[in-house]
Amino acid sequence: GAAGAKEFRLGLITPPPHIWTQAAEAFGADLAEATDGAHSVQVFPARQLGNEAQMLQQLQTGALDMAFLTIAEVSNRVPEFGALYAPYLANDIAHAGRILRDERTQGMLDPLPQEVGVVGLGFGMAGLRQIVSRGEIETAEDLAGLKLRITPFEPIRDFYNAVGAAPTPMPLPDVYDALANGQVDAIDMDAELIWILKYYEHADVVINSDHMMFPMVGLVSARVWSQLSEEERATIAELMARHIDGTIDSYIAKDEEWLAQVEGTGKPFMEVGPDFFGEAISEWEAIWGPKSGTLDMLREVAADTAE
Amino acid sequence: MTGAVFVVLLLGGVPIAVVLAMSAIFYIWASDNTLLYDSFAQQMFSGIESYGLLAIPLFMLAGELMNDGGLTRRLVNAARVFVGGFRGGLAYINLLANVFMAAIIGSAASQIAVMSRAMVPEMQKEGYSREFAAATTAAGGLLSPIIPPSMLFVIYGVLAQLPIGDMFLAGIIPGLILSAAFFLIIALIGLRQQFPKGNWMSGGEAGRAILSALPAALIPVAIVGGILGGIATPTESAAIASLIAFVLGAVLYGELKFRNLGRLFARTAVNASLVVFLVAAANVFGWVIIYEAVPQKLAAMLTTITSDPFLFFLIVNASLLLIGMVLDGIAALILVVPILLPIAVNEFGIDPFQFGVVVCLNLVLGLLTPPVGAGLYIASAMSGATPTGIFRALAPFLLSVLVVLILLSWWPALTTALID
Amino acid sequence: MLKRASRGWARLELALAAALAVAVTLMILANVVTRAAGQAIYWTDEAAIYAMIWMTFLAASASIHDRSAVAVTLVPDMLGEGFRRLFRIAVDVVVLAFALFMAWFCWRWFRPDVLIATGFDTQAFQQETFNFIYAEPTTTLGIPKVWVWLVMPLFTLGLILHALYNLVAGLRGEEPDPVSAA
Ligand code: NA
Ligand code: NA
Repeated sequence: GAAGAKEFRLGLITPPPHIWTQAAEAFGADLAEATDGAHSVQVFPARQLGNEAQMLQQLQTGALDMAFLTIAEVSNRVPEFGALYAPYLANDIAHAGRILRDERTQGMLDPLPQEVGVVGLGFGMAGLRQIVSRGEIETAEDLAGLKLRITPFEPIRDFYNAVGAAPTPMPLPDVYDALANGQVDAIDMDAELIWILKYYEHADVVINSDHMMFPMVGLVSARVWSQLSEEERATIAELMARHIDGTIDSYIAKDEEWLAQVEGTGKPFMEVGPDFFGEAISEWEAIWGPKSGTLDMLREVAADTAE
Repeated sequence: MTGAVFVVLLLGGVPIAVVLAMSAIFYIWASDNTLLYDSFAQQMFSGIESYGLLAIPLFMLAGELMNDGGLTRRLVNAARVFVGGFRGGLAYINLLANVFMAAIIGSAASQIAVMSRAMVPEMQKEGYSREFAAATTAAGGLLSPIIPPSMLFVIYGVLAQLPIGDMFLAGIIPGLILSAAFFLIIALIGLRQQFPKGNWMSGGEAGRAILSALPAALIPVAIVGGILGGIATPTESAAIASLIAFVLGAVLYGELKFRNLGRLFARTAVNASLVVFLVAAANVFGWVIIYEAVPQKLAAMLTTITSDPFLFFLIVNASLLLIGMVLDGIAALILVVPILLPIAVNEFGIDPFQFGVVVCLNLVLGLLTPPVGAGLYIASAMSGATPTGIFRALAPFLLSVLVVLILLSWWPALTTALID
Repeated sequence: MLKRASRGWARLELALAAALAVAVTLMILANVVTRAAGQAIYWTDEAAIYAMIWMTFLAASASIHDRSAVAVTLVPDMLGEGFRRLFRIAVDVVVLAFALFMAWFCWRWFRPDVLIATGFDTQAFQQETFNFIYAEPTTTLGIPKVWVWLVMPLFTLGLILHALYNLVAGLRGEEPDPVSAA
């Protein structure tokens, strides 16, 4: 039977104007409309309810109903997801979108209720990863020994370890400060934030490497899910998947635009490809191929969806 | 109901951190969200998992080392060289030394304690009233949390998720305005009542005083320069300042004794933990409040009253002055920021740096207002003047702070100009 | 007995906290030096933060023994000695209640009963509880985060001990016995 009217709490780490937050708000509005106001969504942006680890824990206890999280937090618990960070899995941002939309990739969400206690309703994403550095960089060797900010999780850490940098995990709110005053020498970041949060201002070079994709996942607490009727589940699943999927289109449309704007500022800007990182990529694959068990499958998906 | 629990526990004298935690526990129970209990302890821990907060023990350590190492005394003596000979010279020395010290010490309470001990007896000796001497020192202490470094700004930066270095920059212009306002007040009071005349030092004395303090001046240079120049994080610059203070105090001045270091670090740990533990408890409290969407509800109410940012600021100023009467600095900051900041930024489009400086200045003012005012009582204890007497002598200074507050509320550039 | 235990524990907490304050300082300074030398160590930030957190909770617990935690004493200060004693006892009761709540929260978080029942098999623990406390990694130190989180039960233990002592001492009309002033 129906659980009655409910105001769901949905948490995410991004600030109100961010594409993910907008998608969350739009999902809430659609859900309210589809249920004639019976259900609504209170969005908690900007880490108001805690960081992703805390939000995941709250999803598990059922204190939080829904969240849009980076795959990072999930992959700390489900190593299969680590393969989504394979360097140069996607050739470009549109290709990243096609990989995430493939059925086989979506199938990776199936074990989440068993293993993490959350229901995954679909993938979204942010832009591809780039590097912003305070010192001159010409080759990947110049990155060696640099303190380089990363999102705190293993696949990215292993990549930069392979590069020879000192990967420094740091939550987003601290990054601007850290780059500005030299707590870190470089950052791993996406085009959107490099442009909007003006990280390029404190850099000597912006490296347009597109080296990794950065998927997001829409989650519902498994405890909360089990209390919903079939009909409610269907409505939520459809609407959330649609709005998460919409973020993929947004980034495909905008990622290049942001990069062009950064380049347009006249900041030294260099475009690099897989060759730039040399051995680091195969080193990463030697770790994560066996660890994730899904790398071959994703490579196959990538090959099938390449253009 | 939670409000009642909060007020009863607070006024009953329960430690504020426990008041916050118990109110959160009560609120969770009352709103039937007992699931949150499973995350309670973790939430308390992660509330202080912050690089920026490391600055708090380190700035406290720097202050302790400076006092024990004789650096503070030398800086005060150097201030004498520049303004000592004016009529009312010691009053100006007091203020100028406070400006120096504000660039080193991060909290008003500790600055007032240090400076009262150093300045009030001297001023009394020269014929100033005890109340005026204590009031000048207490007012000078207000500069401490506004001129960087500042513990209040560190905590605000952590709560508001703002770069602490930028928050420090935001305080520089307001700190200078405030200093100028206090100099003006002293000059005006001096016109009405004849201050004792001061003495200029002889050339030799002046040279020696400056030379002796010059190395100590490295510390404000290291702190402010390190942060402004983008060489070190505020946390790192505090550590560097501690190292300089240690080397100067132990080696150059020879006043810092190794056998006292254990106690000095223990004092630092205790004092820092009082503040940081408060942040941990406040984080749980803020989390519960946000979970229940309290700020959103309050915002809806406030926005029906006004949509004008300046008017909103005036309402905030008035409420904070009231809050500041019964709650002191950091504790008050921790309570109001999670509630008011989202409203200020999202509903009224106020710059978060401007908001931070205004809120912090408001709440340091609370340190000097009865009935609860740590700064007032410290000044009283150190000087022997009654709190009432000091408060009366403080009135012109406090009025000038109100004027500065209105200026800062009106004109965002005063806080944001130095942040690029 | 209770007094000795509480005082001894508070001393230990303070000594550890002071040592951690030294550690924080040294780590941040090491950070400055190694970075300037181009030899950045990536785990010092995280280690320094955890050292500060341990310092905070240990010293905060000791501050309960010392009755030195920040509080508004306006009302009790206005009252006569008899009422003031009554207030102090009431405060001790509230602090003890908080300590017991914390013990309960820590129990629900760590679930030692389930951990023992599953023979310390964290996989089985997770399946049973959907609680991932034993799986959470630290981001750079390479140890499970639960080791760092252990400060919370440790803190709680200290709180209970000190709050109990305070209450008993208050009921007997004994004076506070601060150790940090020593
Ligand atoms: Na200061
Ligand atoms: Na006050």
